Amino acid sequence: MTGPGTDEIVVDRLTKQYKKLRAVDDLSFRVRSGRVTGFLGPNGAGKTTTLRMLLGLVTPTAGTATFGSQRYTELSDPVRKVGAVLEASSAHRGRTGRNHLRMICRASGLPDKRADEVLELVGLTPAAGRKFKGYSLGMKQRLGIAAAMLGDPQVLILDEPANGLDPEGIRWMRDLLKSLASNGRTVLVSSHLLGEMQLLADDVVIVAAGKLITQGPVDEVLGGMTGGVQVRVRTPQAEALTAALSELNASVTATQDGALLVHGAEAAAVGHAAFAAGVELHELATERGDLEQVFLQLTAGKAGIR
Amino acid sequence: MSLVNAELFKVRTTSLWWIMGIILVPLYAASVLANWAQASAGQPPSDAGVSDTQTAQIEAALQPINVATNLYTSGQYFGVLVVLLLSAIIVTSEFFHLTATTTFLTTPRRESVILAKFAAAAVIGVLVWLFTTVLNLLVVPLIMNNLDLGSQLGEAAVWRAIGLNLLAFVLWAILGVGAGVLIRSQIAATLILAITYVVGTSAIGLIFFLLSEYVAEWINNLQVLVPTTASQLMISGTDLPGSPPRWVGAVVMIGYAVVLGFFGTWLTKRRDIS
Repeated sequence: MTGPGTDEIVVDRLTKQYKKLRAVDDLSFRVRSGRVTGFLGPNGAGKTTTLRMLLGLVTPTAGTATFGSQRYTELSDPVRKVGAVLEASSAHRGRTGRNHLRMICRASGLPDKRADEVLELVGLTPAAGRKFKGYSLGMKQRLGIAAAMLGDPQVLILDEPANGLDPEGIRWMRDLLKSLASNGRTVLVSSHLLGEMQLLADDVVIVAAGKLITQGPVDEVLGGMTGGVQVRVRTPQAEALTAALSELNASVTATQDGALLVHGAEAAAVGHAAFAAGVELHELATERGDLEQVFLQLTAGKAGIR
Repeated sequence: MSLVNAELFKVRTTSLWWIMGIILVPLYAASVLANWAQASAGQPPSDAGVSDTQTAQIEAALQPINVATNLYTSGQYFGVLVVLLLSAIIVTSEFFHLTATTTFLTTPRRESVILAKFAAAAVIGVLVWLFTTVLNLLVVPLIMNNLDLGSQLGEAAVWRAIGLNLLAFVLWAILGVGAGVLIRSQIAATLILAITYVVGTSAIGLIFFLLSEYVAEWINNLQVLVPTTASQLMISGTDLPGSPPRWVGAVVMIGYAVVLGFFGTWLTKRRDIS
């Protein structure tokens, strides 16, 4: 059996101990190519520290974080293999966006024209000659993505890329990352914006307090939870419907806006029960549990400032 | 080589270099005028209360060849200061502007980055040396003629002084990068370097004077360990009375550059960048 290729991210028993804080604690997970993987966790869960260890900026106390079996620092041509967007403000205030990118080109042996190509890709061409201090947060994020794309890498790593982007920018980034993943690239995105992640990610890795909580395809993570799938019904005869549904062993809870949430029965069964009982329905819909609920359930008591 | 190119590109694409240039020009002019004034002032009267050694030093300094070496290396004092600060800022600005992340992502082998910074700083040292030296070669012959000393450009000692001046610029540049790695805070690094460079010599000179007066005479010989004194000794061009030989100054400077260089690289390799 051959080992994983350099387009697969392998985090193996990774640990980072600061003086008093165990920022990352025996964390293991894998990120596959051709998919967008969301790296989720509350603030202070160790996401950024994990990514910085993966990228050779922070030395792990124990364990490894590698691309295939190679550390970032061992990659022969890192800019062409891995692109990373870590913090939006990591450019010199007095340097223009184009020169920031050219600087990276020169250090990594890429032609200067790549700078203009990626500026075009992220829609920053009109601001290419402007100094970084004049950029909005959204423009800084775009410049960061441009820098990551310079070497046309197989693996992309983004730390909270949606911060500071407007709705149009978020949509643009979602489309970009999805299309990159569908081209077979590996895309790892950390975030605490769960709604956005539900739209973007194929897989999720959820961490809290430096530890792995769960990982897997979004559907599985959602489906595996109690309350993952539910049926929303709206009726003027709530009591009659509740009585009819109790015969199906389904549990019913009322929401504040007057709808009923049914767990333990499919939408068809709910509709049939209502029909049989002569109950009038105004709404009948299957709802997948949302990531936010699942996330809060999973990380309950583990979030927060440590 | 592409890394050195990238480092020089970084310096070129921010406004720091021309701000430093604007500061350097008037300071250079002042240095030339000061050296000129010193050369034309002549000897102090014999009853001025100066020691024999000092008299000998002044006499030696007023010999045409020494006047020439002094004038042809005009601008060294402030030029080196500018190079020293620029070299330190090449490192500290990476942390001040949070660009270290980008830099080390682009080049994860950190020792290569630091080596490139040493090389880039040396190039800047050479450029500033070139700038002051070209101006000196244009201006100083006129001053020498004014002093009735002749241009002295035929003297090997003058060219040796100009060469050693270059060595001083390069060694201080390397020292600056090393200091920048050790003192990562931009403000602290520039302040400490500038103050040590400008005030340090006299302050430390006073300490050495007191130590040699009240503890032991030989301690005075250790003054050459102070970088500014060592540099001064190295480039003084001719051996003045009462000083250790010139090469001692060069050895001390190279020693500092090597030690700071290695220690700085080692430190940068193990640090977490966050």
